[in-house]
Amino acid sequence: MDIRSFFSSANAKKTNNASNKTVRPEPSKLNVKGKSTNEKTGRRGNDGSKSTEKGRGSDKKGKGSYSRGKTQSKSKAKRVIALDSDDEDVNGNVAVKKDEKQLDEGTKKKRKRQVSSEERNEDTVSSHRKVGKKAHLIESDSDEEPIPRKKAGSGNDKKKTGIVFKEDSDEEPTKKSSMGSFLKTPSPQKVKSKTEIKKTETKTPVNVSDFFGSSSVQRSDRKTAVSKRKLDEDEEIHEDDDFEKTLAQLDDVQKSKKPRLSETSPQKSASTPSPSGNLASKLAAKAKQFSMETSTRKVKEEPKTLVPETPEPKQILKKASPVKLSPKKVLSPQKDVSPKKPSPVKSEKAHAPKVSPGKPSKTSPPKSASTKTSPDVPELASRTSYRSYLTREGPQSLGAKEFPEGGENCLEGLTFVVTGVLESFDRDDVKREVERYGGKVTGSVSKKTNYLVAGRDSGESKLQKARGFGTTILDEDGLIEVIRTKPGKKSKYVIQAEESFSKEKSKTPVQKTKSVSRLADFERRASSSTPSSSSPVKKEGKVSDEPVLMWVDKYKPTGLKQLIGQQGDKSNAKKLLHWLTNWHKNEAAGVKPQGKFFGKDDGAGTKAALLSGPPGIGKTTTATLVCKEAGFSFVELNASDTRSKKSLQHEVAQALGNETLVDYMGPDRSKSRGHKHCLLMDEVDGMAGNEDRGGLQELVSLIKGTKIPVICMCNDRNHQKMRTLSNYCFDLRFQRPRVEQIKAAMMSIAFKEGLKIPPPALNEIILAANHDVRQVIHNISMWTAGNKSITYDQAKDDSKRARKDMKLGPFDVCRKVFVGGDETANMSLIDKSDLFFHDYSFGPLFVQENYINVFPYAARGNASKHLSLLARTAQSISDGDLVDKAIRSRMAWSLLPTQAIYSSVIPGELMRGSFPQMVSFPSWLGQNSSRGKSERILQETRTHMRLKISGDKRSLNMDYLPYMRHSLTRPLVARESEGVPEVIHLMEEYDIIKEDFDNILEISKWPNSDDPFKQLSTKTKSAFTRTYNKEVHMTPYSTGVLTKKKRGGGVSVAGPEEGDEEEEDAASEDSDNDKDDLQKDTMIKQTKKKPAASKEKAKETTGKGKGKGKTSKKRS
Amino acid sequence: MSLWVDKHRPNSLNKLDFHKEQAAHLKKLVNSGDFPHLIVYGPSGVGKKTRIMCLLRELYGSGVEKLRIEQHNFTTPSKKKMDISTISSNYHIEVNPSDVGNNDRVVIQELIKTVAQTNQLETSSQKSFKVVILTEVDRLSVDAQHALRRTMEKYMATCRLILCCNSTSKVIPAIRSRCLGVRVAAPSIEQIGQILQSVCKKEGLSLPLELATKIAKKSNRNLRRALLMCEACRVQQYPFRPDQEVTEPDWELYLKETANLIVEQQSPKRLLEVRARLYELITHCIPADVIMRGLLQELVKNCDGELKLEVVQSAAYYEHRLQTGQKAIYHLEAFVAKFMAIYKRFFEEGIADLF
Repeated sequence: MDIRSFFSSANAKKTNNASNKTVRPEPSKLNVKGKSTNEKTGRRGNDGSKSTEKGRGSDKKGKGSYSRGKTQSKSKAKRVIALDSDDEDVNGNVAVKKDEKQLDEGTKKKRKRQVSSEERNEDTVSSHRKVGKKAHLIESDSDEEPIPRKKAGSGNDKKKTGIVFKEDSDEEPTKKSSMGSFLKTPSPQKVKSKTEIKKTETKTPVNVSDFFGSSSVQRSDRKTAVSKRKLDEDEEIHEDDDFEKTLAQLDDVQKSKKPRLSETSPQKSASTPSPSGNLASKLAAKAKQFSMETSTRKVKEEPKTLVPETPEPKQILKKASPVKLSPKKVLSPQKDVSPKKPSPVKSEKAHAPKVSPGKPSKTSPPKSASTKTSPDVPELASRTSYRSYLTREGPQSLGAKEFPEGGENCLEGLTFVVTGVLESFDRDDVKREVERYGGKVTGSVSKKTNYLVAGRDSGESKLQKARGFGTTILDEDGLIEVIRTKPGKKSKYVIQAEESFSKEKSKTPVQKTKSVSRLADFERRASSSTPSSSSPVKKEGKVSDEPVLMWVDKYKPTGLKQLIGQQGDKSNAKKLLHWLTNWHKNEAAGVKPQGKFFGKDDGAGTKAALLSGPPGIGKTTTATLVCKEAGFSFVELNASDTRSKKSLQHEVAQALGNETLVDYMGPDRSKSRGHKHCLLMDEVDGMAGNEDRGGLQELVSLIKGTKIPVICMCNDRNHQKMRTLSNYCFDLRFQRPRVEQIKAAMMSIAFKEGLKIPPPALNEIILAANHDVRQVIHNISMWTAGNKSITYDQAKDDSKRARKDMKLGPFDVCRKVFVGGDETANMSLIDKSDLFFHDYSFGPLFVQENYINVFPYAARGNASKHLSLLARTAQSISDGDLVDKAIRSRMAWSLLPTQAIYSSVIPGELMRGSFPQMVSFPSWLGQNSSRGKSERILQETRTHMRLKISGDKRSLNMDYLPYMRHSLTRPLVARESEGVPEVIHLMEEYDIIKEDFDNILEISKWPNSDDPFKQLSTKTKSAFTRTYNKEVHMTPYSTGVLTKKKRGGGVSVAGPEEGDEEEEDAASEDSDNDKDDLQKDTMIKQTKKKPAASKEKAKETTGKGKGKGKTSKKRS
Repeated sequence: MSLWVDKHRPNSLNKLDFHKEQAAHLKKLVNSGDFPHLIVYGPSGVGKKTRIMCLLRELYGSGVEKLRIEQHNFTTPSKKKMDISTISSNYHIEVNPSDVGNNDRVVIQELIKTVAQTNQLETSSQKSFKVVILTEVDRLSVDAQHALRRTMEKYMATCRLILCCNSTSKVIPAIRSRCLGVRVAAPSIEQIGQILQSVCKKEGLSLPLELATKIAKKSNRNLRRALLMCEACRVQQYPFRPDQEVTEPDWELYLKETANLIVEQQSPKRLLEVRARLYELITHCIPADVIMRGLLQELVKNCDGELKLEVVQSAAYYEHRLQTGQKAIYHLEAFVAKFMAIYKRFFEEGIADLF
């Protein structure tokens, strides 16, 4: 161990410079990420400066200790970080970071901390008081460190490992150092610092101490606070998260190498109240001293520490992060220890990193933070008129400030509203940041709003509301403060998950193995260099126990209570259960199915149930579990079975009348007298193609006569194929579970698998999977395959990629094309053009229909600019139409991407803005079809009039019809009944039938023209109709053929003395004649006409006289 | 009692009221006993069809006026059934292939073949060929036009084609070169005025010259429209007064109102209103180019100098797109939006200059 430690220290030294560099860049990198802790550092003030200076490598030793501590921490850390040398650097960074965090967190306890920090600074000079107590505290740290040296006793090793765990736990609280933790255990920290100081004084620095330096101090503190064990444990859990998080961040930090100094300096200025000036040098000195002291101490103190610590490791093992560790759970320490035995070195490493973060926290308690947080209320933005809103400028100094590193989930349950322009942040950034910490950003202020973040030119109404509700109003710095100072806390989901898990554990001994396996995982990951050591343990835990299953199957609900989103009394699962249990009763009673809308819909009397809903939300699971619950055994047929008519008849039909063998042969046949069974038809909408020909019809007929319940499942119950089936089924529609519901379940899975997934990250994942539980599990499984923890950013990134496959409706697409804001801000060109491809025939229509309704941001309320944007958009759309024509007429489908740009992307870019209205359906479709109808009418009319007029249908429309309209109606309007003959004469002249008459009036009607026909009294109208029908009108065309499909084709032929509405008459006649005539329509009309004509003196040709008869007669 | 425009339609080449020289040429052409394929083109309402009918009458005698409407059924290669109505006499058949839209090629191939493959039985007393009149040739698809060109040569012995269209620009050169072009230009305003007066005289009315000129101007040199307007005036108020208001068709009024709306206000909201009105026009089957022209004519009245130039240019730009594109509304709307943007800008600049 010693050698190793030395080695690592040597490495550390080597890399001192590098590490220094790396340390500095941390903040910058953080900045990049948006988690930047600039402000934190700044507030730290002196402490911060100290730490930074340390980082620079004033103390090589100190650094070495950091790095070493880091490596140790690694082993504990779930993350697998790069190999040794690199790791060290990383760890060093981590440690520094942690320090920073702690400092930040400590805002509330500033004073205490300050004291402690000061004490530290004064380490060399510090008094010996409290030594006794503190020594005890410190022991924990020392325990770990000495262990490597001792090596001798296996028991020691065990103890060490135990200690290690404990230390982790101790450190964890500090790391997470949610405000609460500090609050709760402020005293121990102080104690620690004091103790450290004492030690330093008492003992001269040793080389070894360098390695173990600062980290040890924190641990000891916790241990001292035995009474507060529970609290500590809670904290520990937090710390785990934090630690991992920080680790992840560290990785990033290393990459970026910005000088920290620049950032720190302004921060310092911000944080006025800092204890002492030149902290850096002091800190460095301290670090050395601490490390030395701790090392020395450890040896002595080991026994003491061991006793209290032993229970802790157990707890950890059992529950990776138990919210409230109950003392009951203390198990035999040996078991816990055992996994670690193989690699004691690792355990050491693990300790060290934890320790390191602890120390910095002490060193730099930021007082500035507290000062800032309190005066949160921003100078109220000047009254802003709407005009100024329109003209207000963007953020002035984007990126000037960085978001601090906050405690995990520190904003959970808080609601924010952002108004006005924040000078240094994008709104999106703010939102992302708040969401990262579990907060919520809403659009308007309400009672539930906790904070209003107001910037320049913020909305007056929001401010007023906020004042009305007593909402805290923050400015940018206030927000930063809140993030920085709020204590991290455990997400309620994590807590739930753990609780449920612990319950399970208490019931089943299996948990232990799991915990062991998890521990093994830990180790393996942490010590990437030596995975072999941990592997045997792992095998014990997992491989031997259970076969490798997909998580979806592994964590499949085993009881109705575990179903996601099916808990309510009115849930589908309950309904189905009720239906199923009562099925036989209802069957026996002969209950008839009730209509959906009468009474309660419990499906009584229906022979089958149809579960429908999107995939991945547990339909099949629900069905099987309900069957189980109701004591039914079931036969399942799904799409993998052939379900044609024939096979259904053969196989299923019999089954529906069968009894199961279970009744006679099963193990529990005695109690299963009259065992019930049912049929599960899964994926019925997959019954398609030749294989399953006739399957659905057969299924329906089987359902009608079934003796057992049938449960069908499908995705889209409105599909054409489901129409018939759904008529015979108890309709149960499954909705997607809410995010919270899924989240809770996922957290418990994550917990069981030992995953670190921050709840906000889970949010992203769930949303990306579109609430598809199965998808979520698969995604998590995949994304955590390499690395057991996911950061918020990773999750967001990954889920963005997964989200691409989501299908959007045309309305959503259209909105997305135009709407600005965070939703679309980060879309690439490809993403935007992909929107077009959701439906390339509909998309452009929607865009064209709606682009005018958008208020583009670019216009900024300038009407002229707005219009020119509209013009450019319209031109682009017109370009798109040209491309569309080329595509359709020349089959040039390769041009589709071009059209995407013209028809969707460019309009979207130009008009990007707010979309106040609903997306309207493209009117072009309707307009186009009515244009088509007009064309047809014109064509028909023109065909009828053709013998008399010249000109095509366009000139007919534009020239003739306006005058025809007048000529046809004027006599009626002017002279009423007397005008009738004149009109009819004109109609005959032009071979117009009554139908054309109506058409002409309709088509020549304009919104700005009056409708002469409305002026007519009904008397005149009826006189006109009657007169018209009395006479036989010879046309040069055969109306029967031409107007076969169209309404009122028989008008001219209709009986003589019919009433006003000839269409009605025609219809009634038709129905009369239907009975007699079995011939075709045309024939009917001819037969009708004959009597009519004969009655009317049969002037000229009868019957078919409609054909060419007239013209030929006329002409000849 | 048909409308004047039909009642007083001349039925022989001698009676044509204008382009008399051309009528004489045609007469000579016919009298020579044979003539090539013809393509008759000119704006609508100038009497192309009247002239063709006169020609046929000159060729075959009055038998050509015994018209009948026939239905023809065709089946496309893709088994789609369609029917088309034709007007025919014993000597000719008139068809508008574009009635069946994209399948016009089948109509051309089948119909002309059936007509052309039957020879006249008695060649001594009759012409040895029949005439096929194809109207709206400029709306034929390119496929159909290609189908036409070989047919034109192959069946030269038994049939002559007379193509009728508004403009030859959309007729492929191969066809144009196979035909003798007959351009029927629009009558001048004076000519229309004279015709109106002579028609009124036949009706026993007296039409003041001023009113006749007014109507002629309003009619856009479209004789058919002029006659219809004239009759409308007669109905409106008989003793004609020179200063009488000439009623325009509703759609023209509507179009002008639309243009006024555009000039009146330039805003997205107005653009939406205009779009609705454009849709109204389009659903009433007013051709898009007519809409475009009508809009431009009205809009330009409100522009001056450079602005006019710019507006006309953009109108031309979008009019061209109308022809090459598919959805008329896109281009009309783009033009309107463009005009609004230009006009607004110009207006604001003008105001800015004032200060």
